[in-house]
Amino acid sequence: MPRLTVDGIEVEVPNGATVLQACEAAGAEIPRFCYHERLSIAGNCRMCLVEMEKAPKPVASCAMPAADGQVIHTRTEKVKKAREGVMEFLLINHPLDCPICDQGGECDLQDQSLAYGRGHNRFDENKRAVTEKYMGPLIKTAMTRCIHCTRCVRFAEEVAGVEEIGAIGRGESMQITSYLEKAVTSELSGNVIDLCPVGALTSKPYAFKARPWELKKTDSIDVMDAVGSNIVIGSRGAAVLRATPRINDDVNEEWLADKSRFAVDGLQERRLDTPWVRVAGKLQKATWAEAFGAIARGLEGLSGDQIGGIVGDLNAVEDMAAFKDLLAALGATRIESRQDGALFSTVQPQDWLFNSGLAGIETADAILLVGTNPRQEAALVNARLRKAVKKGGAKAFAIGPVADLSFPVTQLGDDAALLTDLPKAVLDVFAKAERPAIIVGMGALKTPGLYEAARAAAAKLGVVKDGWNGFNLLHTAAARAGALRMGLAIDGGVTALGNGDLKALFLLGADEVNVQPGRFTVYIGTHGDRGVRHADVILPAAAYTEKSGTYVNLEGRVQRALRATQPPGDAREDWTILRALSSVLGKKLPYDDIDALRRRIAEEWPDLGRAGLIERTHSLSDVTAAPVKGPLAHAYSNYHLTNPIARASATMAACVSSLLAPENREAAE
Amino acid sequence: MTYTGWFVEQFGQGLGWFLANLTLILAIAFPVMVGVALAVYADRKIWAAMQMRRGPNVVGPFGLLQTFADAAKLFLKETIIPSGASTGVFLLAPMISFTLALVVWAVMPFDAGMVLADLNVGLLYVFAVSSMGVYGIIMSGWASNSKYAFLGGLRSAAQMVSYEVSMGFILVAVMMYAQSLNLSDIVMSQKGNVLGILNGNIFNPLLFPMAIMFFITALAETNRPPFDLPEAEAELVAGYQVEYSSMSFALFFLGEYANILFMCALIPTLFMGGWLPPLDLPFLYIVPGFVWFLIKMAFMFFVFAWVKAAVPRYRYDQLMRLGWKVFLPLSLFWVVVVSGWLMFTGHFATAPGAL
Amino acid sequence: MTALLRSAKSLLLLEFVGGLWLTLKYFFRPKVTLNYPYEKGPVSPRFRGEHALRRYPNGEERCIACKLCEAVCPALAITIEAEPRDDGSRRTTRYDIDMTKCIYCGLCQEACPVDAIVETPNFEFSTETREELIYTKDKLLANGEKWERAIAANIAADSEYR
Repeated sequence: MPRLTVDGIEVEVPNGATVLQACEAAGAEIPRFCYHERLSIAGNCRMCLVEMEKAPKPVASCAMPAADGQVIHTRTEKVKKAREGVMEFLLINHPLDCPICDQGGECDLQDQSLAYGRGHNRFDENKRAVTEKYMGPLIKTAMTRCIHCTRCVRFAEEVAGVEEIGAIGRGESMQITSYLEKAVTSELSGNVIDLCPVGALTSKPYAFKARPWELKKTDSIDVMDAVGSNIVIGSRGAAVLRATPRINDDVNEEWLADKSRFAVDGLQERRLDTPWVRVAGKLQKATWAEAFGAIARGLEGLSGDQIGGIVGDLNAVEDMAAFKDLLAALGATRIESRQDGALFSTVQPQDWLFNSGLAGIETADAILLVGTNPRQEAALVNARLRKAVKKGGAKAFAIGPVADLSFPVTQLGDDAALLTDLPKAVLDVFAKAERPAIIVGMGALKTPGLYEAARAAAAKLGVVKDGWNGFNLLHTAAARAGALRMGLAIDGGVTALGNGDLKALFLLGADEVNVQPGRFTVYIGTHGDRGVRHADVILPAAAYTEKSGTYVNLEGRVQRALRATQPPGDAREDWTILRALSSVLGKKLPYDDIDALRRRIAEEWPDLGRAGLIERTHSLSDVTAAPVKGPLAHAYSNYHLTNPIARASATMAACVSSLLAPENREAAE
Repeated sequence: MTYTGWFVEQFGQGLGWFLANLTLILAIAFPVMVGVALAVYADRKIWAAMQMRRGPNVVGPFGLLQTFADAAKLFLKETIIPSGASTGVFLLAPMISFTLALVVWAVMPFDAGMVLADLNVGLLYVFAVSSMGVYGIIMSGWASNSKYAFLGGLRSAAQMVSYEVSMGFILVAVMMYAQSLNLSDIVMSQKGNVLGILNGNIFNPLLFPMAIMFFITALAETNRPPFDLPEAEAELVAGYQVEYSSMSFALFFLGEYANILFMCALIPTLFMGGWLPPLDLPFLYIVPGFVWFLIKMAFMFFVFAWVKAAVPRYRYDQLMRLGWKVFLPLSLFWVVVVSGWLMFTGHFATAPGAL
Repeated sequence: MTALLRSAKSLLLLEFVGGLWLTLKYFFRPKVTLNYPYEKGPVSPRFRGEHALRRYPNGEERCIACKLCEAVCPALAITIEAEPRDDGSRRTTRYDIDMTKCIYCGLCQEACPVDAIVETPNFEFSTETREELIYTKDKLLANGEKWERAIAANIAADSEYR
């Protein structure tokens, strides 16, 4: 624990800390460009120079390890002069194009040149010009602005695990480029936009759309995957223009997956903005009263067990609770949330949660992936797994189709029978492991009996230890954990719902399920997507940015999102639709505002009413497993088109065309 | 043959009489309306000149058509009736104001014999009709259902009532000299009435102060500055007119200026010898009396405009104090003085019906 | 005695007569105002009148959609929407000024890094409807073309003080 003095303040920092961290601990602000807390140290921007006693020159504080007895000065004339000098050098080749730069207003270089720069330039020569590089449909480049901090290079290498961005050339000829000028294939590529301290890498879909000061910033929760990333919605007027990550070390650290970041333009497209009613086989626009009347007629004479419901992937807990209450009032109890057809025990939360936790999985030392491609199903979980393997030295094995996970994985094959007959190498590694983990994907769970086999394998591999539960289900739907906590699941899964005498079906944003015609179907949702195909009544609802909602992520973390914009047209928040419908059906739900609804939720499920993890125990009960076999599949075939919002997004469509057919790049440009 | 006689011959007794009078009424009303237009223009021009401005000078030659342009604008605008207003009274009020302002011209002699109704009680008629003008204002103030209009209407009513009292006494003095209430007789009584050569009561030292007081009460009666409190724009944003727009406002505006013009005609009639030339010299009678009358009217209007440019507005309590504590006792006292003088000089001995 | 004098004075309206005499003298003085539509006063190069968007001599519009004018506008009169043009350059798709909101403070032309939005010396742009006072980009560019010579002269005249 070195003790050192910064500007006369004595601080003690942990071993391995740098002088820069010591300065921050002492409350001194150190300007920096290349240094980033979550990346390795490069020390190439020199902006963090501080004066250290007994050192002949100013030292780069980010790269200097803190040591006992160091005396640091950050406010001396020498430091000021050093910063001014560094800043002047950085600005030599940086163009003065702030007015047309999308980073303008949130630019580190702009802010720091104002705070630490000289105010004028002595460089009279021509500035360097660098050709722009192609980095795919998401990242726009203006490499003349680059100051060579190499944050993007380090991110791609260390976090995303795709070695596709790098520097070529030396000195003034140094250029950052994606090798061979191809799209960056990482699902985390968008984060280099946030990392770039200047406007060299900016968001292509957001290009020139708005200035940071125009945006209304609303804290929200992402629903594109089950990670529940903390995001900030930037909206102007009725339009959501961008989503950026919010730091939460327990969930998304400071990263965000590309789909979460770039699919928000789908919130503008193909939206349902008025109720529709099917009259004589054709959908017609209707008023709310007409739509409710049509529902009342459609449900006439039906008993509760003839009514069923499916909840979708993007719903908030509030919506699903109101949905459950409404159907319960109609006498219906059969509501299913597992649209993808996954089958697993939903009795205890620990049966289906990602029990290791998002931060916990980083510490795992033996990992078995069963029928999952975490890179597509939860890109941020994949980043954590990569950290466990690369930094923590964990061994990873996978059963299922071969996939590039950006870290070394021993592929065992894709036969489910491997679960009951694990190779010796796996057993050896798990026997020695202190924190073994097994991760089962939703694609694998479609195979009947696989869940029990996985549980048996988990018991055999001993993944449950003191203070550690290594049995994890990798959910893909943001609404899933909340729905399961409220018991929105039936035996036999979604295919079993259609069994028996089902006459009426309610779809709450359920677009991933193949609904058959012939039943009275009510669709409540945001987009004209798959769910509306056979719907008799369509009710327009609010998307996740348009309502205040509670979401439970795959590890069971309850988080609340705030409303950023208004729903379009006649669309309303889902729970208010259900509440209004309940009055028309004569089964009035007992809450009139969102607070009353939340009180009602907290009464039955207290852990959903407060922030934090939902309740679970650390032990798993024994299950009886039957042998399973057959090839396993991944949940997704296409990362970019997994939900109605993403399917409506032009950006996601551009991603698909650029990734699937790179030769189309010129045409797309 | 008289004018009416010709019509009676042509169209019979009833219709002829009606048509004759109708044309005569139009022959007065139309020039009065044109006069109002020109008066508004003159008012603005004089006011501007005294402030070293130019005044209206764009529409028509020298801006002469400015008033017509303004009128056209007003006529084309939407008539807004406030939702809280009492519609009937609201619409009736400007009509009353406007009608009364025209009706009063019936007894005004423009020249010898040039009068629509040569009433023997002409002065009383004038007095009665101008008193009724307050109804239009108080009705509009009440019907507008607006506090500004209401206050303006109340102020106007109180002001008119106050100044009519002293006005009455001033008229008594004039009447005593003329021995008549007929306006033509009053004019003729002024022929050479001072030193045998000056035509006009105003040259009479006993009636000169009366003339000044009458002028001031006329200002108060017509809501002209410095007595324009009913429509004080700084306090009441336009007083009783605040809710009026378009034609209904135009009627008020026209009525107001018709009243001013009437006062400008009445003062010469009562004090300056009406259609008579100022001096009782034969060659001056070559100029038609009608022209003398118009010259005198124009002069009086200039004085009205001049005063507007020169004086600031009274405070309301000052206005009331002036009316009740200065004008009323002064005019009353002066009636005593005049009647005493006339009694002393035996003026009444020659009066018609004197014993 | 003074009270008596004062009463006499006010009774004889001496002050009124004095006031009337004064206004009568002014009545005959020459006018000090301009005969406005036919005569016009001098206009400073810094005069802030109707807005215009300028172009470069080669016809390229100057505005680069940096939105600094929108940000600085204290009356929130400016609305800008931008997106990449076909050639990839940053351009406005919408540049509206609500002239009924504008207070003619000139901060927009101060903020503009490329001298695109300027206030012309023109102050005669009254309209018959309010709608006409919502200036669109087309209208502003047309203004720029119409007033370019005056704008350029004004900027040149004022440049040494900047």
